Amino acid sequence: MKKVLYVLLAVLLALSVLGLATCKKKEEAAPGEKKIRVALYVNGTLGDKAFFDSAHRGIKQAEEEFGVYTKTIEGTYEEANWEPDLAQLAEGDWDVIIAGTWQLVQIVEKLAPKHPEKMFVIYDSSADYSKGGLDNVYSILYAQNEGSFLVGALAALITSSDMPKVNPEKVIGFLGGMDIPVINDFKVGYIQGAKHIDPDVEVLVSYANAFNDPGKGKELVLAQYEQGVDIAFNVAAETGIGLLDAAKDKDRYAIGVDSDQYILFKETDPAKADNIVTSMMKNVDDSLYRAVKMYIEGTLPVGEAEVLGIAKDGVGVADNENYRKLIPEEFRSRIKELEDKILSGEIKVDTAFGQ
Amino acid sequence: MNPLLQSILSAEFGFAIFRVMTPLLFAAIGVSISHLAGTINISMEGTMLVSAFVGVLVSAFTNSLILALLAGVAAGVAMGAILSYFHLRLKADIILAAIALNMFASGITVFLLFLATGDKGSSSSLKSMLFPEVHIPLIKSIPVLGTIISGHNIMTYGAFLAIILFYIITFKTPLGLRIRAVGQNPHAAESVGINVNRIRMWALMLSGFFGAFGGLYLSMGYVSWFARDMTAGRGWIAIAAATLGGYMPLGTFLASLLFGAVNALAIYFASLQIPSELIALIPYLATVIALTIYSAQAQKKRHRKVEEAKQVGTIKETT
Repeated sequence: MKKVLYVLLAVLLALSVLGLATCKKKEEAAPGEKKIRVALYVNGTLGDKAFFDSAHRGIKQAEEEFGVYTKTIEGTYEEANWEPDLAQLAEGDWDVIIAGTWQLVQIVEKLAPKHPEKMFVIYDSSADYSKGGLDNVYSILYAQNEGSFLVGALAALITSSDMPKVNPEKVIGFLGGMDIPVINDFKVGYIQGAKHIDPDVEVLVSYANAFNDPGKGKELVLAQYEQGVDIAFNVAAETGIGLLDAAKDKDRYAIGVDSDQYILFKETDPAKADNIVTSMMKNVDDSLYRAVKMYIEGTLPVGEAEVLGIAKDGVGVADNENYRKLIPEEFRSRIKELEDKILSGEIKVDTAFGQ
Repeated sequence: MNPLLQSILSAEFGFAIFRVMTPLLFAAIGVSISHLAGTINISMEGTMLVSAFVGVLVSAFTNSLILALLAGVAAGVAMGAILSYFHLRLKADIILAAIALNMFASGITVFLLFLATGDKGSSSSLKSMLFPEVHIPLIKSIPVLGTIISGHNIMTYGAFLAIILFYIITFKTPLGLRIRAVGQNPHAAESVGINVNRIRMWALMLSGFFGAFGGLYLSMGYVSWFARDMTAGRGWIAIAAATLGGYMPLGTFLASLLFGAVNALAIYFASLQIPSELIALIPYLATVIALTIYSAQAQKKRHRKVEEAKQVGTIKETT
């Protein structure tokens, strides 16, 4: 008797779930004119004050301006979730599926040929188009090496200057989250930029091997400041916020990343913000906004990768009030000059990606 | 001289050791005291996380350091109490229950963080308070020693007090005696009328109490905000430190100091031109080596005891 009851219950449960699912579908299909549906899959969580938050901002802006339906799905840092989650999105009712970072590339390469009617956008990495069948994948690469070249040059100018808080040693710092190609692309540009200004400038590089350990990030940079560093560049998501804190404690300079981190901390922690001379902007938001716009206009260059550098506003130096206040006019115009030289191709910035 | 060598030999490096050690020491004391009662608490990772979060939140909304401290400690004790409820009352395996608590802590802090700030990464939009740094009047002016010892966060001095407190509780109070009795032989303890479960509950709550300070230090001393999963494995290193220290006050302190030193060394080495994976390995390698040496020695000691016992036995037989 009990067994029968269990089976009945199970059947009932299964039916109700099924019913719910169909109900939902009907509901969604109801409105006459169908909105374009854009899904952003984040292989992490929002709130990093940098990279993923910027991506989210981009598609929200597209939603507001173009009236498309967008949704950000946070896949958490649990790698096992990513493939099933993306497969589900590919099978679901979405027109454009946006997935970022090199970690999702292989998954997208697998899914895209199976769902030719869907459009896939990869940002901050590129699909391997030689594999074929990827005519519905658009990849966005950022020339973070170009932006980092500029902040590296700025750091070298500052460490050799007689600005306050600067010591006589010509040493600058770099804090990376992990020893991986994307992070090293920042590093390569940063070092090249610094050496371009003055070959004698020494660059200390530390990796935290974690993106979510601000305590360790702070400790690493305190050690760098101890070794004569007077300005350091963070490329380590939440770990990197520790660098900004170390700069505040030791009253040295810091360079932000991805978003304008001076603006982010101006209200809540002015003492921290004051030492952030600038940020290397990686305009993920603009690039995704642009991708959605191109999709609507039908001009999305699918089947290829596009590199957004200084030329297409993919990266750049954050020009805010603090930058103009702290950095002398002479240095700012020097940076502008270098920017133009990169644009004209006179300076070629190295990259950590094999080309 | 090489600037790296110079900086390692500097007083600032000694200072960094204590700074890195502080959260480890608190958590290691928590692990030790629970192990003495025979119920090892491996939920330090979660306990610290919850306390770190509660401390920041309360300080941001009440602007009171005392309230933040009390709330953070209460949260830590509550974590210990929850674990003891699962283990002692519901008879769940303590390791599994603690792992579940760790996962719970990681999830609930992010969830509540999102409710409180709308942010899932860190609480940097809140204006949290910090525990003050203490400059000890006379010692401050001693050249090298002064730089190493003075000027730490009050929590670092608290960690030294915690070791003394741990010693007093364990060896100078009736509760400590009972904790050790329950840990060594619960049946014997029960036979003389000790309520084993109650003693273990106290031990687990004490372990949450000590762990809480480690968490508060992370978010309100080390840095000034809470970040998702900011404990980043310190709760696990603390278990190794407690094991290495033989769960005894002095041993736990020395082991934590060792791990603090090794971690600080790895941090100073990080800027060298060595593959970062190798540097990242240093603390863990040191853990493995230290544990190996420790257990080899423990085994030798055991072996010797057995030999002695055998000898005593043969002497008895011949006479």
